[in-house]
Amino acid sequence: MEQGLKEAMEATNPNPSSSAAAELLNGVNAKALLDSVDAFLFDCDGVIWKGDKLIDGIPETLEMLRSKGKKLVFVTNNSTKSRIQYANKFRTLGLSVSQDEIFSSSFAAAMYLKVNQFPPQKKVYVIGGEGIVQELQHAGFTAFGGPEDGEKRAQWKSNCLFEHDKDVGAVVVGLDPDINYYKLQYGTLCIRENPGCLFIATNRDSVGHMTDLQEWPGAGCMVGAICGSTEREPIVVGKPSTFMMDFLLQKFNLSTCRMCMVGDRLDTDILFGQNAGCKTLLVLSGVTTKSILDDPSNQPDYYTNKVSDLLSLI
Amino acid sequence: MVTKAVVSVSVAATSITCSRFVINPAHRFLCLKKLSSFNSFSASASALGIKWRGVNNCSSNKSEGFATTTRASAQPLENADELIASVETFIFDCDGVIWKGDKLIDGVPETLDMLRSKGKRLVFVTNNSTKSRKQYGKKFETLGLNVSEDEIFASSFAAAAYLKSINFPKDKKVYVIGEDGILKELELAGFQFLGGPEDGGKKIELKPGFLMEHDDDVGAVVVGFDRYFNYYKVQYGTLCIRENPGCLFIATNRDAVTHLTDAQEWAGGGSMVGAICGSTQREPLVVGKPSTFMMDYLADKFGILKSQICMVGDRLDTDILFGQNGGCKTLLVLSGVTTLSMLQSPSNSIQPDFYTNKISDFLAPKAATV
Repeated sequence: MEQGLKEAMEATNPNPSSSAAAELLNGVNAKALLDSVDAFLFDCDGVIWKGDKLIDGIPETLEMLRSKGKKLVFVTNNSTKSRIQYANKFRTLGLSVSQDEIFSSSFAAAMYLKVNQFPPQKKVYVIGGEGIVQELQHAGFTAFGGPEDGEKRAQWKSNCLFEHDKDVGAVVVGLDPDINYYKLQYGTLCIRENPGCLFIATNRDSVGHMTDLQEWPGAGCMVGAICGSTEREPIVVGKPSTFMMDFLLQKFNLSTCRMCMVGDRLDTDILFGQNAGCKTLLVLSGVTTKSILDDPSNQPDYYTNKVSDLLSLI
Repeated sequence: MVTKAVVSVSVAATSITCSRFVINPAHRFLCLKKLSSFNSFSASASALGIKWRGVNNCSSNKSEGFATTTRASAQPLENADELIASVETFIFDCDGVIWKGDKLIDGVPETLDMLRSKGKRLVFVTNNSTKSRKQYGKKFETLGLNVSEDEIFASSFAAAAYLKSINFPKDKKVYVIGEDGILKELELAGFQFLGGPEDGGKKIELKPGFLMEHDDDVGAVVVGFDRYFNYYKVQYGTLCIRENPGCLFIATNRDAVTHLTDAQEWAGGGSMVGAICGSTQREPLVVGKPSTFMMDYLADKFGILKSQICMVGDRLDTDILFGQNGGCKTLLVLSGVTTLSMLQSPSNSIQPDFYTNKISDFLAPKAATV
């Protein structure tokens, strides 16, 4: 995990990660876990699906949890889709999940600007996917860039000036498979030259399962690029930042100790859960292997192979 | 604002024969160690015990962990003759010192001629990796300057020279996220390489069942300024670094911005390197300024004492730091990216020995008005 970020998180974490080793989920503690929480927060990539393939046993497990009266929330750092687009993805995969149950980092970016009263006459430049652009526009902001800038090229002739909009007051950076030099330059100029321009990162995940067969560079890559050219650190709205938790809590009248965060990444999902005071369950169906878990410095409360173990164990 | 990856080198292994360069743990940037043999260069690189504890000090203006001595404020260059007489060699940065984009800065030809006529050795050290030394030689020639290829040290050359110095095996390959200059220098040094500008045209589609393959023989990924940067290259480089055991991650330089054209700043090599740091969670070996690799190399090559060198540049966090790390005199010129107010800002802690408007101030015997 990025060193500076880890230090920052440790400094602000009121509940430093317990040094007790993570417990393997079994028949006894799984039942106890279910009884002790009212809401399950699920990461998506590597937990619910991998790319566009559902992980085994998910539909039945989610149904079981709902039948037991548990609230389900999906908290994903993947900013390429908006909440509406994610709801569609769930539907396509045969899962019934409403937009209100989804908290994507694309949504988080828009909410950050809203909560901080970003002036409506200012604009937002997006280095990222359609999801970010849509959420920003949905929240009433003027957003541009995004996927369409993937086709643009910069010119390097002597008398050619690379122009940028002086009214850009924030640059939002997220996962961008269409990353190119034009976008890097545009975002860099806005941040360096527009006074007070915000630099917001949806998240900083280094890699993720964008397809079912392998890991791909995550937003941490694009954010790292802009850090490199601007010499600034971003405001991170996605996990492990607990910014999204505030919105979650507004929706559910629950205390975080009655929630369990289920994820596949220690430095985002588990840290997010710990920072917020939730129980934490690591699944090994995504980016984290058992051997990484052997590092004592970051231990979830529980770990198991995949989400459907919750069903098979109880 | 000064930013760099501050890298602590802790040398664990002891079975290293000292040759040309010495790893000095007090040096926060890569000073090179030449290894005597390389059965497995990867084992040697890890035998060096190089653990890269990268700290991105983006939000701080301190050159962290650097000079333990506080330097006196930079002095305006009042007696150029005295400075010239006190050193044997001038190392010049190029962008912002000799030229801006493709335009020569005023008075440069006469200044270089004057220094040569006084018997001074001239060397040109640039972090710009887009050209090879040969290509830079042509650029100097086109601008009417008499500079030979042997006097030019670009970070593209530095990357190849570094691999040579560690006896990077010829049966291993190098993946390049960067431009033609790096490819040319690797080729000249006899290394196999993949990537470069042509991968700029490659697209990927994140579809189910799609797998990107990568060459298991890639033993080093070299990252530099790359205008053809794209997700394909990021993934290729990331896979090599994460999955090929012992794969090196080398950065030509980490300049945040660069003067590609004379009119404005452009996102620099620091951007591409930052991207790969973000996806691999590793810090690179930096061969360009402010790392002293090129300084050690040319001091050794020309047999010069570093105390007899004056480094002239326009950037505090690369050129001046490079000179200071090397133990040289340092002169900041204000003809490039740094302004007087940036130099004198309370948040700046890098103080060159002298500063002046531009190098042609050397021609004026009295103080140039800054």
